[in-house]
Amino acid sequence: MRAEVGALQEAMARDGYIADEAIATALLLTGELGKPLLIEGDAGVGKTEIAKVLARLRGTDLIRLQCYEGLDVSTALYEWNYPRQMLRVRMSEQEGIDADRMEQAVFGRSYLLERPLLRAITRREGPAVLLIDEVDRADEAFEAFLLEVLSDFQVTIPELGTIRAEHVPHVVLTSNCTREIGDALRRRCLYLHLDHPSLEKEVRILHSRVPGASEALSLQIGRFLQALRARRLARAPGVAESIDWARALVRLHQDHLDEEVVRATLGCVVKDRHDLRDLDAPELGRLVAEARGEAVAR
Amino acid sequence: MSADLVAHLARFAGSLRAAGVRVTLGDEVDALRAVTLADLGDPEEVRLALRCTLKIRPRDGEVFEDLFARHWLGAGGADRPRPPRAEHGPGNPGSSGLVPASPRPVEVEVEVPRGDDPGWSRDAILRKKPFDECDAGELARLERLVARLAERLATRRSRRLVPVRGRGRPDPRRSLRRAVATAGELLTLARRERPLETPRLVLVCDTSGSMDPHARFLLAFARALKRVAKRTEVFVFNTELVRITSWLSGGRQGSALERLVAAVPDWSGGTRIGQCLEAFAARHLDELVDSRTMVLVLSDGLDQGEPERLAAAMQRIQARARRVLWLNPLSGDPRYQPTARGMAAALPFVDALLSLHNLESLERMLPLLAR
Repeated sequence: MRAEVGALQEAMARDGYIADEAIATALLLTGELGKPLLIEGDAGVGKTEIAKVLARLRGTDLIRLQCYEGLDVSTALYEWNYPRQMLRVRMSEQEGIDADRMEQAVFGRSYLLERPLLRAITRREGPAVLLIDEVDRADEAFEAFLLEVLSDFQVTIPELGTIRAEHVPHVVLTSNCTREIGDALRRRCLYLHLDHPSLEKEVRILHSRVPGASEALSLQIGRFLQALRARRLARAPGVAESIDWARALVRLHQDHLDEEVVRATLGCVVKDRHDLRDLDAPELGRLVAEARGEAVAR
Repeated sequence: MSADLVAHLARFAGSLRAAGVRVTLGDEVDALRAVTLADLGDPEEVRLALRCTLKIRPRDGEVFEDLFARHWLGAGGADRPRPPRAEHGPGNPGSSGLVPASPRPVEVEVEVPRGDDPGWSRDAILRKKPFDECDAGELARLERLVARLAERLATRRSRRLVPVRGRGRPDPRRSLRRAVATAGELLTLARRERPLETPRLVLVCDTSGSMDPHARFLLAFARALKRVAKRTEVFVFNTELVRITSWLSGGRQGSALERLVAAVPDWSGGTRIGQCLEAFAARHLDELVDSRTMVLVLSDGLDQGEPERLAAAMQRIQARARRVLWLNPLSGDPRYQPTARGMAAALPFVDALLSLHNLESLERMLPLLAR
């Protein structure tokens, strides 16, 4: 399996995603065992990106369901196209078609609006990648419903009957751990926990995603971010933030960090006003000096 | 797939379970399929495959790594799985029989919205007065305030929409179904609304001697909760656990309390928290607690029993409940440290430790119940 894991890592790297062995192994196993993958981790560690890369590698569509409080079946699965149904009913009435036939026509497949879950299981051209994003934001009732869909890959619509999956999609669920995911759903999936990247990995990511950044700048950004995350901020910056910051600094033609520019662009990485206040001038100076590899007297 | 491998994996899963990591048979089946795909000569590959398929969360990471090293990296190479050398169970001292599974709970500060106070100015002083300093008249007033507070609990709306008569949002789907019967004429609009949702609560109250000054008030609290959240279950314990749910409805506060004192063995006596919670977990947990139930333990954690039993019981309860809150009258004191043996043992398995010594602290806690 190691060879396959390595190959997958390389393929992902070509696509701009630096994956460690744990990520590649998990993706490989979900494919082999045909199970959904649940990815947990802080915001901005690259959970969603995994699904996007997976879709590109498999050359298929990414179908995304963004979860939120109050998400219900009519937004996640399907909804009837009421205006069209209404029109059809009116027209049938004028033509004098009887009620039974009219009902059959109105509750046909062509009056159904497919939402992400239904679209993912009815895709004809082969399995799609279904991303169920931030599942921790939906409520437990929705989780139970999701469990049903993910175990049978079929959906029952009272007016239409049961629709079975044409192809079982590759499912990726992500969670920011704002709430414990129910045990039943967790058991249905394979599990991957993503941490913030190591310094070495982060520098590689910056190289790959922000080719314009100099070697020194990438390394310094990496060191600065590692130091920031070690400080237990209210909102720890993720990889997404370090990429943004690197891009911003490249646009400002910086090839290294200096205190003035860091102060001016700190909003790219520190997005909480309490955290910003805690990073006062001497503290920031020390962090910048450390990131530049200068010895600091404490 | 060799029988050896199956047996070895089963032993490994068994050790994980003994160490408090939840691993089901389904997980083992996944793990087995993954391990057969992996190269058994490559421990890193096996490790990653097992972590992924056994669904090891970060908090169980250390236990997993420790046991993995023992079971799969034993001398003789990983290609010939060997039985673990040191059989370890809960009884083995020094082993990680009970590793604190969850991060340490934090003291929760909840902001109470201004202008939403339960009482008028006369009650403002009462809100900060410790329960054990209140006289009978003040307690009676407190009870009325608590009842009003508790009513707020029932105001959370479910996020689902259910059909209703009368007011509500239009429900196009059902409206159209009706319209079919009247040849497409929309005569009546069907409506739907988000129903009120009351939390399910289980209260387990300590009535031992050290809790005596608070007992009367806590029971008033339990009664008030019971009135709004009908499915509230109430237990009291000191040396034995007694289910008092049915005694709380009806009658006046005073008489209910007297009946209780008569019926509960050793009222105001010593405490065996561990044993009582163990009894609760054994007899009532499956029946009364599910992933929507909030469990409230009201106790000062001054335990005369063995802390290990308390920790084990709390772990079982936390694994099943939606959240576990521990309400401690002592932690109102800013100098209080949760170092009482019982409290320290229970702490890792509690989602939040809150103080409950006056009405103000109670007000802060209520929003947590509706979450």
